[in-house]
Amino acid sequence: MRVLKITPERCTGCLRCEIACSYMQTGTYQPAKSVIRVSPFEGHTSYAPYTCTQCAEGWCMTACPVGAITINIAGAKDVLDDKCVGCKLCTIACPYGTVFYDTGTRKAFKCNLCGGDPACAHACPTAAIEYEDVATADWLGDFARERATHVLAMAGGR
Amino acid sequence: MATRHLIIGGGTAGMNAMRTIREEEREPSEITLVSAERPYSRMVLPYYLDKTIAESHVFTASAAQLAKWNVKTYIGRRASGLDVKANVCTLDDGTRLEYDDCLIATGSSAVRAPVAGADLPGVHSFWTLDEARGVIGSISRGTHVVMVGAGFISFTILNSILSLGARLTIVELAPRILPRMVDDAGAELVASWLKAHGVTIRTNVKLTRIEDAKGKKRLKFSTGPEIVCDAVIMATGIRTNLEWLKDSGINIRQGIVVDEHLRSNVPNVYAAGDVAEGRDLISGAAAVHAIEPTAQEHGRVVGSNMAGKNVGYKGSLIINIVEVCHLDAASFGAWDDAKVETISALKKDRNAYRKLLFTGDRLTGAIIIGRSNDIWTTNDVGMLKGLVQTGVSLGRFKDYLKSNPFDVKTAFIASKTTSTLLPETVLGRPSKAPGESPVAV
Repeated sequence: MRVLKITPERCTGCLRCEIACSYMQTGTYQPAKSVIRVSPFEGHTSYAPYTCTQCAEGWCMTACPVGAITINIAGAKDVLDDKCVGCKLCTIACPYGTVFYDTGTRKAFKCNLCGGDPACAHACPTAAIEYEDVATADWLGDFARERATHVLAMAGGR
Repeated sequence: MATRHLIIGGGTAGMNAMRTIREEEREPSEITLVSAERPYSRMVLPYYLDKTIAESHVFTASAAQLAKWNVKTYIGRRASGLDVKANVCTLDDGTRLEYDDCLIATGSSAVRAPVAGADLPGVHSFWTLDEARGVIGSISRGTHVVMVGAGFISFTILNSILSLGARLTIVELAPRILPRMVDDAGAELVASWLKAHGVTIRTNVKLTRIEDAKGKKRLKFSTGPEIVCDAVIMATGIRTNLEWLKDSGINIRQGIVVDEHLRSNVPNVYAAGDVAEGRDLISGAAAVHAIEPTAQEHGRVVGSNMAGKNVGYKGSLIINIVEVCHLDAASFGAWDDAKVETISALKKDRNAYRKLLFTGDRLTGAIIIGRSNDIWTTNDVGMLKGLVQTGVSLGRFKDYLKSNPFDVKTAFIASKTTSTLLPETVLGRPSKAPGESPVAV
């Protein structure tokens, strides 16, 4: 299966992925509706995008009481809007924090890999986001650990 | 001869067990379902109540779906006895069903406060589909509804009642609302939010009597003024449906005591969901978790074991979320553990509250409250679950979280929680999509 491979060292924090994502997902340029979210690290000297890993368990999918989350042709867990009632159980079942709730539509929403042609990977000008046939991984963990010394110092950490 | 599986109860646990049996089995088996009601999801009844979905949307399996799964059904029947020596279940109409293994997943029923008038017409419970129909028929614009009990169940239908244009008063015996879902400070934030949204709340009051009053209901309390209203909803707790197993020899404490394979003391009798007393993921102790996600995981683990796999269960995690008037309140794990290190933080102007509970350098419980459209809430709610579920060692990020409880993401990512989570599955293999349940041939 192809996944979103993130190379955080390449991210410049330009937010094109968020804009492309929201446009593809909702038809509006609204980063608030994006399901890939760029976070700052090390006092805004570094950035990295974070999104659904399309994990093997699919905690959101198994938690859904009405079968409203399925697996689409790209292998992504995908919310079926006509079945979702907006109970929010998936948003707390997902241990990665990558299922969201739209207060306008009253439905859950998440990364569905744009059905196999992810807009974020297209939009990324530095190839920090690539769509590749590799095993999904913790793309950000080591990067974030290394880049967190600044925030830890500010917090009085050791 | 094909193995005969008997599933008693058509709720979340039973449905997930049947689906998983069909996913996992190598040879076709016989599945028989006994269910007092046609299978539906209780989680979605609030959306049926507020008319955003049709009644047909609540059902989790049509007759055609059950036929496709090759399930023999006894719908509308209840199990009345279990002979664990003869491997026979007796139904309320005298039918005897033989089994090779059986799942008890009979769930819970609503309990009303033991007061005079609790059974009057116009006094409702909101638990089953039938009860939901009764509530729907009694609420319209301007109806004054009194909800007795300020727990999770009553809060799940609070938005629905308001959206139908009704006026709402909540009365609660305990000194505060949501006693089993959030702590005192969290309850105070939710209560003031609700008051600002026009909901009347009276805590510390004991209902003593309900009377008919010219087409209305009069509620009397041990202290304070009486209330006259149009409809009463009793959300005063639930009780597990286990009376029918009293003399069966099945070991029952708070629920049916189950081992890590969710077997009772009788090895070919499993229990799942509200009736099972299984392992709590955080404490490791046996507990009844009467919540949807536990029923779902229990059901799948039982289904897999019934199909001949050997799936051990790590334990279930308490997770709850409820939204009232666009304020989310969620809690995870051992959020009420008074013995561990705790940090809490309130940002009143943002209606945001956090409580984080640490055992050593692991997060073992959390409460999060905030507006539904506030990025603080929406970004962090799942990650808090992930930190509690994995129990990753936070190391230096524990201190960071204690000084920055509203910045969970940094600690979550830098603690490499994702690395811990990625290999985790409940059944030891990737999950299948709900529609993708092949019938064994």
